[in-house]
Amino acid sequence: MERTVTVVPEAGLHARPASKLVQTANRFDADVSIGRADDGDDGLVRADSMLSVSGLNVAHGESVRIVAEGAEAADALDAVCDLLTSAVEEDGDGEAPP
Amino acid sequence: MKTLTGVGSTPLSGVGTARWYRPEAGLTLPERPDPSAVDPDAELARFADARDAAREAIRDARDRAAERVGEEEAAVFEAHEQFLDDPELVGDIEAAVEDGTPAEHAVRDRFAAAIDQFEALDGPMAERADDLRDVRDRLLRVLLDVDSLVDVRDLPDGTVLLAERLTPSDTAELDPDAVAGIATVAGGRTAHAAIIARSLSIPAVVGVGESLRDIEDGTELLVDGEGGRVVADPDAETRAAAEGEATSAVTERVSTADGRPVEVAANVGSEAELGPASERGADGIGLFRTEFLFLDREAPPSEDEQYEAVTAALAAFPDDRVVVRTLDVGGDKRVPYLDLPDEANPFLGRRGIRLSLDEHCDLFETQLRALLRAAASDGDADGADDADDADGEGLAVMFPLVSQIEEVEAAVSAVESVAADLDAEGVDHAVPELGAMVETPAAVFLADRLADRLDFLSIGTNDLAQYVMAADRENDGVAAYHDPLHPAVLRAIDRTASAAEETDAWVGMCGEMAGDPAFTELLVGLGLDELSMSAVTVPAVKERVREVDSADARDLAERALACETRAEVRELLDG
Repeated sequence: MERTVTVVPEAGLHARPASKLVQTANRFDADVSIGRADDGDDGLVRADSMLSVSGLNVAHGESVRIVAEGAEAADALDAVCDLLTSAVEEDGDGEAPP
Repeated sequence: MKTLTGVGSTPLSGVGTARWYRPEAGLTLPERPDPSAVDPDAELARFADARDAAREAIRDARDRAAERVGEEEAAVFEAHEQFLDDPELVGDIEAAVEDGTPAEHAVRDRFAAAIDQFEALDGPMAERADDLRDVRDRLLRVLLDVDSLVDVRDLPDGTVLLAERLTPSDTAELDPDAVAGIATVAGGRTAHAAIIARSLSIPAVVGVGESLRDIEDGTELLVDGEGGRVVADPDAETRAAAEGEATSAVTERVSTADGRPVEVAANVGSEAELGPASERGADGIGLFRTEFLFLDREAPPSEDEQYEAVTAALAAFPDDRVVVRTLDVGGDKRVPYLDLPDEANPFLGRRGIRLSLDEHCDLFETQLRALLRAAASDGDADGADDADDADGEGLAVMFPLVSQIEEVEAAVSAVESVAADLDAEGVDHAVPELGAMVETPAAVFLADRLADRLDFLSIGTNDLAQYVMAADRENDGVAAYHDPLHPAVLRAIDRTASAAEETDAWVGMCGEMAGDPAFTELLVGLGLDELSMSAVTVPAVKERVREVDSADARDLAERALACETRAEVRELLDG
């Protein structure tokens, strides 16, 4: 099964959001892959690999396609899409204004 | 004297003795043997052991960074662990080893390809390559049995550290007291290492380029993080200018030229920032953000952990006031274990005191217990019983995003109920000064009533400007609206300060506006008793306060309040 979503976190799939995505993909009994929506099957990479996810260099506002297979595919897909569509805190420089 | 230019990363200056840090020096690989001479099983085992050792080291580094620098900066090490266990990297390295490549060569080859791949990308990913180097070097150090992290932790006082590039691991280990500055050949201002150096208040200039390599160990070096330059063998004048800057901490409390005292305090968001705040001469802490205790973890901090953090702040400022803001999450600040709902307009939603009085009243109660206990400790590590000591010094507690009198009443009664519980349990405690943050127009209009019920008000100008001007502070499209110099925002500040003046409550400001010396006279004229800011700007604001005459300041404030447009206010301040 698969779904296409727009990446909401300001930092795109870098820094914290990438890290969270990899953690999430690893949590389920499912093979999850991710790629730019326009790049088709060739653009898909393993979502449990920090190297591959970071290497996609996806920015905020881009459309990505997530494909999940396996026993917990549905749950994995929900969790990953939730993450990509919520504005998690950014990897700022520690100077959060009051 | 020779001047090299780079990118100023921490806006501070320092002078010291150059010392090159070459972590890669011991990491020369032995010649690659013929595949037939390699025992793949033994090499696979070495690689597995190296990963275990590196993983342990990364976790240690994470914990130390969390303690010394802050949870947010420590998060980078979680990404390091993910690179270490990356299925693509690990799979490829193991495949190469099975084909007869020794573990260290397989690691170097695969990481080199990954680093090239990242560096070819634009933007933030190029800096992520530094994280890959960091993980690679950890693995190689174990495989080659080289220990080079140690000397970063134990540098002689007055060291200016020079490096090709610094990794987050190296930087988080640095002792801000010993390291006078950092200069690097490569790297950018937003790299994790640069962010960590800033949090530790270590002067830094990054991306100087190859010319830095000509500087030899032992050279006297000035690192000017404000001007973005590195000066070798600085002459007396350059040195004096920089040292004047470096030692410009004004430790005594200051008053205006005509004798009106103004407290100049620091905003602090982690324990590591306490030392620098005190060194820059802050008169206490005007905003102690407690979020760092809650973010990036799986469960909320215990009462004792919060107590320790607050007593550490009190101990750093034994003669001053420490204003702690109760938990301010929601809106843009997410905390996974709190399970906050998604909202269409989080800045207008459930955040700050609203959460503390409702679904997270249990967290609020735990936090108040820690705060009341800390109030009794008064900075004494021995926890002496001085619960009757309510002299307005020591701890103060403020509530974020207040918009209704009922919230203040509920928060005060929560404090009373916690005090009664602690009484019944026979636990030492004291009730600190209580205050509200003025960030909403509602709080401005009700400032007189808030001041009646509380000991102080503290104006958060970033949120106040956002809410008064109806302009999202994250939205660049409305950045022009989001300026505290708009007459409407100035009038809101004036109204708040005037309301406090009618009562016994004091009034402070803890937004970015407070830290700009260009606004100091205006803010003194508006009647603020306390200004709280990033520690770095404390000395400049203190010096400015001393020059101000409070009658002139009042006059300036009145003229600013009479302006109709932001442009007129700007013109008034520039002239």
